[in-house]
Amino acid sequence: MKQILMGNDAIALGLIHAGVDMVSGYPGTPSSEILGNFQKFRDKFKLEAYAQWATNEKVGFEVAYAGAISGKRTCATMKQVGLNVASDPLMSASYIGLKGAMLLISCDDPGFYSSQTEQDSRSFAKFARIPVLDPSTPQEAYDMVKLGVELSHQFESIVMLRPVMRVSHAREICEVDDSLHVKANQGNFERNIPRWGAVPPAGRFRQGLEQIDRLEAIKAWNWDHLIKPKTHALKGENVLCLTSGTGDGYVREAISELDIHADVLKLDMPYPLPKEKLEELFVHYNKVIVFEESFPCIEEQLSSPKLYGKLTKHVHVIDEFSKDKVLSAFANAGVIAPSHAYKSEKYTEELPKRPPNMCPGCPHRDVHYAITKVFKKKKSIYTSDIGCYTLGLNQAAIDTILCMGASISMASGFSISDPDKTVIATIGDSTFMHSGVAPLINAVYQNHKFILVILDNSTTAMTGRQTTPERTNPHQIDIKRIVEGCGVSCHEYVYVQDINKTVDFMKSLHEMYKTATAPVVAVVREFCVLDRENAMGRLGNVTVEVDEDKCVACDSCITNYKCPPMHYNDAGKMEIDPFLCAGCGSCLDVICPTDAFVKKEEK
Amino acid sequence: MKYQIVIAGIGGQGAVFLVKVLSIASALAHQKCLGTENHGMSQRGGSVSCYVKIGDFYAPAIDEGQADLLIALEGNEALRNIQYLNKDKGVIVMNAPKNFPKVSFETHSVDAFKKAKANEFPIDALNVYMLGVTLALDPHFPFSCKEIEEAITQMNAKVAEKNIVVLHQGINDAKDKK
Repeated sequence: MKQILMGNDAIALGLIHAGVDMVSGYPGTPSSEILGNFQKFRDKFKLEAYAQWATNEKVGFEVAYAGAISGKRTCATMKQVGLNVASDPLMSASYIGLKGAMLLISCDDPGFYSSQTEQDSRSFAKFARIPVLDPSTPQEAYDMVKLGVELSHQFESIVMLRPVMRVSHAREICEVDDSLHVKANQGNFERNIPRWGAVPPAGRFRQGLEQIDRLEAIKAWNWDHLIKPKTHALKGENVLCLTSGTGDGYVREAISELDIHADVLKLDMPYPLPKEKLEELFVHYNKVIVFEESFPCIEEQLSSPKLYGKLTKHVHVIDEFSKDKVLSAFANAGVIAPSHAYKSEKYTEELPKRPPNMCPGCPHRDVHYAITKVFKKKKSIYTSDIGCYTLGLNQAAIDTILCMGASISMASGFSISDPDKTVIATIGDSTFMHSGVAPLINAVYQNHKFILVILDNSTTAMTGRQTTPERTNPHQIDIKRIVEGCGVSCHEYVYVQDINKTVDFMKSLHEMYKTATAPVVAVVREFCVLDRENAMGRLGNVTVEVDEDKCVACDSCITNYKCPPMHYNDAGKMEIDPFLCAGCGSCLDVICPTDAFVKKEEK
Repeated sequence: MKYQIVIAGIGGQGAVFLVKVLSIASALAHQKCLGTENHGMSQRGGSVSCYVKIGDFYAPAIDEGQADLLIALEGNEALRNIQYLNKDKGVIVMNAPKNFPKVSFETHSVDAFKKAKANEFPIDALNVYMLGVTLALDPHFPFSCKEIEEAITQMNAKVAEKNIVVLHQGINDAKDKK
């Protein structure tokens, strides 16, 4: 049956068709829609299956892994930086193996579309010694989910599926299974202490050896089932292109469009590679070029003087692929003359920059504004974290961003290393649950003095408004009580669209900070403007316009408050775009030194 | 057939909706289709560019100098993505004011913001309106009005009627201009 599917839809449907009935993960673009779509398909087909967001990727991985060693078919979903968090259990689980099946989906983001780092999850697969499948389109992602689950079961190993953004968020007409023969499978954990509870060194040593054997068997399988059948299509050209994932599409299009003579061999499982068998193929070629995104995973496993790639500096080393980059690699390797077939003139006049920004009406903007208003820049350090509020960067309200949870631990560090400044950490509710609790305990335990503001909008907004622990069980899980449980009181502020009140609350925290001997912690109860259920009745209803006589174009609003509807008009005065304004009216209060913002009408 | 479309706009204008409509239209027209879209941080009021490749393609992204059509939901975003157009046959359909810089491509523009401000159509249907303009003005556009209407209905039957009204408004406004 043909269906139009986005990569993440295809993966979710593939999981269902592969008989996976237990999915756990943490949202992160570009992986976020997989679990949500799995839930939709599950409900549509009325299947019994567990699919829930975990508090973080490590937890998600461990939940799915326990399911797998009980014999179920499971899956953990995350993005590449999330895999860093889950890497701890991954390394051990790859030694121990499993009984049922477990697909670990880690989505990569070549080109840094929504990530701090590019990374290559295939490197992690190699590091953990588990096989990895690298799809190049939504159709392949669907097929490889099914293949991956089968391989996992066959080899008792976790199998990684590693789609990139251009697979997860690509859309294609896919051929998928017609009917559904999936039944929920019942797990049954069978006690086997030497395997599941193995303690180093004796138990783990043996499992380490078994892991190496397993890897050799998978290499042979990779050759027999995935690579060898494709070698029959090689035409005997002088150049061999080894491709993987999305690299394949760019190469195929470029060589067919520009009539470049080269053979293409796509490696569906870029790790583990049957090195010797592959290198035997090289005898027939003058040059072998590796096209892979992002890191040199294939290239690192092979060795030959004929090999050209990232390590030899013939292929670009950072950013996503393009056909232009394919041509550069061919030219660098001396296969073709330098070509500009995929270069075109850009528009060279200056265009308004449009960096990602917090939505109009978003409460985070007011909180960041209030923090910078009360805690002066020269005397403060603003640490922040991963989420929408990261975009407070635009207001110059953030000094550091590292990784999930680091705003709190780094605030601890700055309080020690630069004690004359006031450190104000901001973190969202989902990120706090993900990895903020442990650093807060650390800060209380060691009496680190800083201010922590938890921005609670009750959703994981940036990745598409997935539910958070508090949202699902508001009476049992509560940030205020968690903070108190960490041993420090929690000051609560319910956000209103009156920026003076938010500023006053920050002032009160400043007062407390002066005499504090431990972290001063606050939770701001907010909402996400895109969250219909929660924002209902809390959004503003005024239209604001600018009194041009009063506006002196001082830049104050656009620098410190930076709301998307604000822009300069032809007369050089500030103007509010009526299509973008959410009607919150926050800008009416203290933003403008000349009071140029005026209320136009109630919406 | 091979036909490549870049859709450019600002997060929130519904560029992704157009990718979905065009991929459904491809299926209805029995064509292969590969598209890609921005999610996550890229969508928050930032520049958004999506690709739709109809026909025999393997890579979802469009390279410079390759696109047959650029649909821009906002004028500056058209300029920002102009290098994706094919030098010989690239066509731009954009929402831009009259005093817009001249470029060396066949350009069709309507001031949709002005029309929306005058309440001629609801601003949240800007994407569908521009699709109507495209249907009317790009002679090489690979889909018929019927296929687009059907695709819009398949996307969301509940709001299809309203959307189709705006689609035709776009078509008619563009024809009047001609």
